[in-house]
Amino acid sequence: MNPTLARLQRLLVMVPWLLDHPGVHVEEVAERFDVAPGDVLDDLDVLGYCGLPGYGGGDLIEVSISGDRVAVRMAEFFARPLALSVREGLALLMAARATRDSGILAEGHGPLESAIVKLTDHLGGQAGVPVVLDIEAGGSDLLRRLMPAVADQRVVRITYRSASKEETTVREVEPWALRSTSGAWYLQGHCRLAGDTRAFRLDRIRDLVVSDERAPDPPEEPPRPPIYEPTDTDPVVVIDVGPESAWVTDHVVLSDREQLDDGRLRLTFRAATLEWAAGLLVRLGNTATVVTPDALRDLVRARAADVLVNYGQG
Amino acid sequence: MVDRLERLINLVIALRETRRPLTVDAINERVAGYEGDRTDAWRRMFERDKADLRDLGVPLRTERVDRFDETLGYRIDPADYDLPDITFEPAELTALALAVQLTGLGDEAAPGLDKLAVGADLPGTTRGVGRLPLELGLDAPNRGTLTDALLERRRVRFAYRRPADVGEATTTRRVEPHALLHHRGRWYLRGHDLDRGALRTFRLDRIEGTVRLTGEAGAFVIPDEAPDPREVVPGADLDPVDAVVLADAEIAWTVARRARGAGEAADRPGWRRFTIRVTDPDSFVSWVLDQGPAIEVVQPADLRARVITHLQGLLG
Repeated sequence: MNPTLARLQRLLVMVPWLLDHPGVHVEEVAERFDVAPGDVLDDLDVLGYCGLPGYGGGDLIEVSISGDRVAVRMAEFFARPLALSVREGLALLMAARATRDSGILAEGHGPLESAIVKLTDHLGGQAGVPVVLDIEAGGSDLLRRLMPAVADQRVVRITYRSASKEETTVREVEPWALRSTSGAWYLQGHCRLAGDTRAFRLDRIRDLVVSDERAPDPPEEPPRPPIYEPTDTDPVVVIDVGPESAWVTDHVVLSDREQLDDGRLRLTFRAATLEWAAGLLVRLGNTATVVTPDALRDLVRARAADVLVNYGQG
Repeated sequence: MVDRLERLINLVIALRETRRPLTVDAINERVAGYEGDRTDAWRRMFERDKADLRDLGVPLRTERVDRFDETLGYRIDPADYDLPDITFEPAELTALALAVQLTGLGDEAAPGLDKLAVGADLPGTTRGVGRLPLELGLDAPNRGTLTDALLERRRVRFAYRRPADVGEATTTRRVEPHALLHHRGRWYLRGHDLDRGALRTFRLDRIEGTVRLTGEAGAFVIPDEAPDPREVVPGADLDPVDAVVLADAEIAWTVARRARGAGEAADRPGWRRFTIRVTDPDSFVSWVLDQGPAIEVVQPADLRARVITHLQGLLG
């Protein structure tokens, strides 16, 4: 949001509160509204020039600052905060409903339930806007055990089955966050084995041990998914896919996309490992063909043959 | 030049405290910050101020000045402006703050929470909760705009990338929105596709760029009954089937999480037998293929056949 509008939005909430708390310390205002004390003083300075048309003695808002205490008077028109916009109200209601439905809060939902009732009443007919939430119950045992570990910044040891290498490893992770993206939950953090930032799918974590070791503070803004960022040393893969398999473009970071004469699509992308790419191609089936590298083509055939043994077709 | 913040505050106060709507002339004459020649630049400034205030949720009305005068003016009705007297308990505000953090909807919901918390003497905003190490990820680009479209019943236009549209990167779609659906971690728009003359479901993450609202408000009627995601989201099947699979020791733990019960010993040494409820056959087959040779589908016959045919196709 534009900084001026953000200041206005804050002021329209801050003034009603200041009217209720005459003589409050600047630091307290700053703390409550999460801004620097200097910013509070700047905002109050502007406020002192505002008021009713005429802008004479009795028209302007009175702002007094003595020492580190502030008071606002003559601003009865701002005695109440600006009403909730429909968007704000709906966003609050949606957040509350989704949280309840997800079942991820271990403690009771009493206060959340009553807040939902109050918000629904308040929004009236507008609460009925057709937004349907079909939240997967994310309340798995693993999620419940990881939540306090992440909150307390405890190093965790996970036994993890990697998707890109089809191997199971034990890794120590300094956990930063748990995120649900496209229906899957991820543990994000610094992996000591990889020496780098990693995201681990919860359904691939076999075992979890929460240690007593306190992890360093996570970065201020942990990077957001997408989780895979190609590097120059990752193998380049070129495949041709038919229209029915074009969904694959949602799963890779394309470096090139070319339309072929036969209606197929030639896709170029980097993969973390050839094994990961082979997994993708096995899922694509015969609607996709490998152009390069040859090693990938062999890998895909070997995998398919391997699995068919199970079905007596080997 | 007068500070823009000061000008906007003065406009809100003047419009809120006037009994009769203020015409553009009156605003130009009387409101601090709006004095001076009515140039094109002045006009643009005034239009932008109005739009920004409305975006913030300030209920700016455009009304006739009075019964006998057709000139239009602007006014803010205090009854629209003031937050009604609703009291939230500290525990409720804390729960809401937690929910806002959890869902990642802070940009839209946090200012509302700040308003509700003014009366309650606690820092009951999202800031009071601190950093929450968990995110449900309910926010998505264009979701707010589409909610507005639903509320106002306005048509929308956007560029849509359907992977099957090979050869054409995106197509422009014109849609009357009927519902927003969140299903299996993704947002969908359900609505009437005006060019195809039929109901369609669109994935929000395949919309490129920004959704634009077009035309008048109240342009169409939204069906009373909200759609069931399982009926309108492609790949979401209503009739689940039970599949029997065998899994080896290496992956039995992950299969057990999908299955009902811990399974039982199978004939093959070290392998276990599980029953899994399948609601989406496509994603089930995908998952099976991901597990490599460590899993075998036994039943039902059609799912088993699908896996075999799929793999044989790879051998050419």
